[in-house]
Amino acid sequence: MIDNLHPLGSTRYGFGIRPQPSAGNPTLDTSFHSWEVDVDPEVDREDDLSSRGSARSLSFDNQLVEVWNARLHGNCHGWHGLTISASELYAAVVEEGPAARGAFENFWRRFRHDYVGLTCLGFLALFVLAATIGAPLVAALTAHGVIQQFPAGITMDGFPLPPWSHALTSTDAQDPNGPFFILGTDRLGRDVLVRLLYGARISLIVALAATGGALLIGVPLGLCAGYFGGKFDTVVGRAVEIAMAFPSMLFAIGLAAVIGPGLLNVIFVIVLFSWYYPARMVRSAVVALKGEPFIEAAVSVGSGHRRIMFRHLLPQLTAPLIVYATGIIAANVLFEAGLSFLGLGVPLPTPSWGQMLSEGVAEGLYRIAPWAAIVPGIALVLTTLALNQLGDSLRDALAPRGRG
Amino acid sequence: MGRFIARRLVAASIQVLVVTLIAYMLFYVISAVTGASPAQRVAGHGATPEQVARVAHLLGLDTPWYSQYWRFLVGVVHGDFGYSFQQRLPVAELLLPAAGVTASLVVGAAILWMLIAIPVGLVGALRPKSAWDRVSAIAVQIAISAPVFWVAPMLAYLLAYQPSQGKLFGLSIPPITFFPIQGYVPMSQSVSGWAISLTLPWLALAVGFAAFYARFVRAFTLEQLGEEYVLVARAKGASTPRILSTHIAPIIAPAIITLLGLDVGATLGGALFVEVTFGLPGLGYMAFSAIQNLDYPLTIGVITFAALMAVLANTVADIAQATLDPRVRIAGGVGNRADGRLR
Repeated sequence: MIDNLHPLGSTRYGFGIRPQPSAGNPTLDTSFHSWEVDVDPEVDREDDLSSRGSARSLSFDNQLVEVWNARLHGNCHGWHGLTISASELYAAVVEEGPAARGAFENFWRRFRHDYVGLTCLGFLALFVLAATIGAPLVAALTAHGVIQQFPAGITMDGFPLPPWSHALTSTDAQDPNGPFFILGTDRLGRDVLVRLLYGARISLIVALAATGGALLIGVPLGLCAGYFGGKFDTVVGRAVEIAMAFPSMLFAIGLAAVIGPGLLNVIFVIVLFSWYYPARMVRSAVVALKGEPFIEAAVSVGSGHRRIMFRHLLPQLTAPLIVYATGIIAANVLFEAGLSFLGLGVPLPTPSWGQMLSEGVAEGLYRIAPWAAIVPGIALVLTTLALNQLGDSLRDALAPRGRG
Repeated sequence: MGRFIARRLVAASIQVLVVTLIAYMLFYVISAVTGASPAQRVAGHGATPEQVARVAHLLGLDTPWYSQYWRFLVGVVHGDFGYSFQQRLPVAELLLPAAGVTASLVVGAAILWMLIAIPVGLVGALRPKSAWDRVSAIAVQIAISAPVFWVAPMLAYLLAYQPSQGKLFGLSIPPITFFPIQGYVPMSQSVSGWAISLTLPWLALAVGFAAFYARFVRAFTLEQLGEEYVLVARAKGASTPRILSTHIAPIIAPAIITLLGLDVGATLGGALFVEVTFGLPGLGYMAFSAIQNLDYPLTIGVITFAALMAVLANTVADIAQATLDPRVRIAGGVGNRADGRLR
């Protein structure tokens, strides 16, 4: 059994405890009962991401053992004078096995302790659920259509109803038997909640499709530009420079005005003004990776260009691309809302958040009915906030500082 | 150095040329395909086909787009941006006052966002993980995520409308009008009126940028604070303000100033949303209404001007960097970093 521990010193041994290779005794003596853990009490491990991956020293029987991840067991949370029993250590080493962790497992081990990131992920999952299942469900439950206008849903003066109110009687009193509007109504007497949920669909579709399009164009361009260099690189570099010199919002509204509103047109406009972000990022990353030994090795065993680019370089870029894409999705949610806000998004009467916001702002409606601007605005801010924060959390979990 | 500047200027002119060329193609070729005819718009809905053709001829719209483009280029070199269909005035005459409005909006907002960002970022860097740092990090994340077209009406509601109704953040106060909800007072009319009319737009524009810059300042300063020269300075008894002002500031200032130049340059082309929500007659607002009215000369005039500003800012930033850091001269520029964020 002890022999199973033999590869402890190898680099494959990624997770737990590695005895200092000591002369004459490469194996671990398991006759001890507990390990004294020597840690720096100054380090607040919950907070300092950089310390999560760093080595800690354990001493026992004059043998120095390093603990890589003291989160190995729950009882490692209490710090000073911590003990790990021999049986636990043995279990960790032998039963969990010394196999290296996969990239995803490594990521998950860090990410699952990031409650802010998890909250954002949960919120976004809710957002997707609300957009896909929630919208028709709520519409069916409330029996309010997405473009259904309730004559009793606006006051005599034509003002919308605040959240949590019933439809009105002919004397502008609330009618407890009438339809109930959880988030109130808009200027035309439509249910804001139903419209908000259907608007989430537009945000989701446009942001995901536009980001996918931008990655589909930008990643191969950046990959080829960085990998081949030379003339192609110059051309792509110039194209990116020129694209960035465009006053993009002015151009986007010009283009949207010329080609007309419509879901596909909005996606097209957004892709046109976001492909260069991933292209630039991928290019500079590839230029930095190109000189690494693993590429040299791939070349030396006769890998073709395509294989090197897609099997060797691209997987290295997965983590930064995921982080980057999260940020681009957030930016594109706002881009779509901005276009809709200016009346250049999906055509009416399909609801979208930007357009709901612009209806709330138009003619100063928000002064009398602030919720008309607050509700879609909060939905927009929360979604973008969750995406931005998730991006930051993913970055920390995928490439913590001090690990390159 | 001379060669570098020459190369940079050539690249800059190519950028502007391509931007205007694509703008031309967009508005003249695609609009011809989709049938949005400016001649029809100018002549009016009831115009006969003959009248429309005559208007098209008078405006030079019946010549091919490339000859129109050439005429436009020759005009721009002479400072003539063409003639607005809608306003019946030379575009250059319209651009100038609008550029003044946008400039006073952007420059004022830039000062404001730096005044917010520097202290917030510095305190965060000096006391990382402190309560203040955490709170400001949350505020920064929210400010980055909030779109300006939501922040602007919210500010107008909370700081302009509610006080005029006798409320301020839920408190009852005597009704006062701090700021107008919309509109612009030219500086020539009244300086204080100008500043008051621009306070909310400044704030609305500054919020998002302040958050970005607070992040930059914090990250740059934190990085420098870990350097050994700071340790040496501390060992010699230098106070924290002294370390910040005489050791760290000279190192991080060029990077921040470069970023600032790029952002201001990009925003000088029009802070569209802020101008639209506050009704400021700046470049963004003008371009927006010009696009809606199919007023192509005015639209292309603004786009050309905006591209000129952005490219100019990039070029100046590159040349300044190259002067300070010779490595840039060989590598070929720091590249364009100003992006078209939603402003």
